Amino acid sequence: MHKKLLLFVALYLVSLITFTGCSAVKPTAENDIVTIRLSGWTANPNERQQLQEVLNKFTAKHQHIKVKYEAIADQYMDVMKTRLIGGTAADVFYLDAFEAPAFMKYGVLEPLDSYIQPEFNLGDFSSRLLSAFQYQSHTYGLPKDFSTLALFYNQQALSAAGISELPQTWSQLRSYAKKLTIDKNKDGKIDQYGFGISPELARQVFMIKAYGGELVNAKGKATFASKKAVKGLQILVDMYRQDKSTVQPSDVGTTSGIEMFGQGKVAMVIEGAWAIPYFQDTFPQLQYSTTELPKINNKKGTMAFTVAYVMNKQSQHKQAAWELIKYLTGKEGMKSWTKGGFALPTRESVAAELGYDNHPLYAPFIAGADYATIWQAGETLPTILTNFNNQFISALLGEQPLLNALEIAQATANKEIALAE
Amino acid sequence: MHLFDFLQSLNFIGLLRVYPRLSAVIDILTMFNNPRKDDTALTGYIFMAPAIVILGIFLLLPIIMAVVLAFYKVQLLGDVSLSFRGLRNLLRMMVDNRVAIALKNTAEYVVIVVPIQTTLALALALILNSQIKAKNFFRVILFLPTVTSSAVLTLIFMWIYNSNGLLNHFLNFIGLPTYNWLGDPNVALNAIMIMNIWSTAPLYMVIFLAALQDIPDSIYEAATIDGASWWDKFFLITLPFLKPVTFFIVVMGIIGTFQLFDQSYIFSGGSGGPNNSTLTVVLLIYQYAFKTLDIGYAAALALMLALVIMIVTLIQRYLFKEESAT
Repeated sequence: MHKKLLLFVALYLVSLITFTGCSAVKPTAENDIVTIRLSGWTANPNERQQLQEVLNKFTAKHQHIKVKYEAIADQYMDVMKTRLIGGTAADVFYLDAFEAPAFMKYGVLEPLDSYIQPEFNLGDFSSRLLSAFQYQSHTYGLPKDFSTLALFYNQQALSAAGISELPQTWSQLRSYAKKLTIDKNKDGKIDQYGFGISPELARQVFMIKAYGGELVNAKGKATFASKKAVKGLQILVDMYRQDKSTVQPSDVGTTSGIEMFGQGKVAMVIEGAWAIPYFQDTFPQLQYSTTELPKINNKKGTMAFTVAYVMNKQSQHKQAAWELIKYLTGKEGMKSWTKGGFALPTRESVAAELGYDNHPLYAPFIAGADYATIWQAGETLPTILTNFNNQFISALLGEQPLLNALEIAQATANKEIALAE
Repeated sequence: MHLFDFLQSLNFIGLLRVYPRLSAVIDILTMFNNPRKDDTALTGYIFMAPAIVILGIFLLLPIIMAVVLAFYKVQLLGDVSLSFRGLRNLLRMMVDNRVAIALKNTAEYVVIVVPIQTTLALALALILNSQIKAKNFFRVILFLPTVTSSAVLTLIFMWIYNSNGLLNHFLNFIGLPTYNWLGDPNVALNAIMIMNIWSTAPLYMVIFLAALQDIPDSIYEAATIDGASWWDKFFLITLPFLKPVTFFIVVMGIIGTFQLFDQSYIFSGGSGGPNNSTLTVVLLIYQYAFKTLDIGYAAALALMLALVIMIVTLIQRYLFKEESAT
């Protein structure tokens, strides 16, 4: 009996080993065609098509490299983090500046310094945008495009209200918003609000800094609960609560700022360059234009958002991946990608070539790049962001005064940061 | 067992002497041909072996690992590292605001949803059990919400809950105040509650229906002869008969509502709602595990949730046992 049991166990182990051995990974043939994977998100089908065109051009130039593009539809960062842990992440992928510090700190990205050659002309990149992806004097990513925020205004609505001058300061914006909040058909319900906001920290940082407030300190702790920050943000809260001239997207039954502007529910909105192709596709009849954001505390301010191509440290085809990044962020690749108008080029030469600084709609965005605050602040920013957004909405809805809300948000964020150590 | 006989004969005539391993395999396979008591248990285990292995690796092992990891701080991105934390995760849980908020939201959700769900299910089952026309048609219609996937349901309801959507138009029409169902922290959780009650009540209705049909008609007839009214029959016959089923439904309801995740995730886009109002415990665990990659703390939270559910179930069991003992 014991002998049979022993034989059974032996048989079991042998079959286990055999069957798992059958599915062993075959070594990839290191001969001609190398397939590399690219991960990114696509905001809409047109963008996807544009990217595919650029990739086709790349493949035409480099016959021995095939690029497989995998779009991640939702929760991009969660998916990327999980894939990086599991070792199945793509060779090259998008990385937003906001998320970059954490990735650079944990060493999951391949430093690109050794790959960059002088003819790549690293100096052509806007230095502020490039520094967002540099950590401890290594470059981990190359920014592929950027966008700042500008004020979009509905030309029909403004002329109907008799406004001929664009708002230069926020107090002017506030009075315009009041004038533009009208009940068109006199049914008691307001059809058009003056101004629309997306109450997220990502859009608000420059207002915190306007009067001297700071978002985080050098150690990464939140420091936005100061009277200076309140001074910058209070005008938004007042416009929402007192004037009732400002609404959030969900108040008027939409899901985003660009949607409510496109539908004519608000006359002015602060959005990025991504809105322009969206309006072209979805609301072609809309008569609108853009201008730089009004000054706050007599200073110009806006936010800059940028995304880079980064290389996975665990990639098996680093040289091929570098070729892809080199092309996509090189002059030719960047020109093909940004001529679609989804975002603006980070290479100064390409920006000059495509003439965005003279284009009536895009000029305010390019002008903003000089003084914009980049949306990035160390690896603690995601925690700070969640807490700020939660409490800011609460202040907006009048549940508590703004300073209280910010203090609670700051305390909670800092506690979480300390506990996570 | 002809195959075995054939193989045994092959072995016997020495055809397989050249392949000793194969003959050993055949020896083992053919031993099952001998119906002896010692081998029956082994046969059983061999048949169960694939299931045991799969369940062991994908069910038991993760549970054990979760319990172990709850006492560690785990770093997964980049260089994997584990550092023992002991009870620090537990201490962190007690000072974390968001845990308190999540527990409060979940408790509020459970306390409101379970009674309403059970009562509604019972009411619907009673209606369907009575002799109304087109009973089968109503059964199908009323069961539809349960068979719809909860993700699809949430998306549909998000459109109904839109500020300019169906529900607000309806409320306006009958003169009731309208709300910003999706954006107002005070009503967002109520919106999810309504959605959930609507979708799970039919499932429990079917269970109640099955139990109701088990009650023999003769008892009702005897009660009618004795002059009992409808109310008397309901409280003195129907409800006592339904006690074990009610207990089952309440327990399942509590376990299910404590684990609310998918609807609050879709509703709030993964953030936990306007101002943490739709943050449930499982959503918090998800955020800690997959957004901030703090796996140790998330495992500790999961352990806490399991303990809470177990305690609540035991309390319930005690209460119900006491009642039926009297």
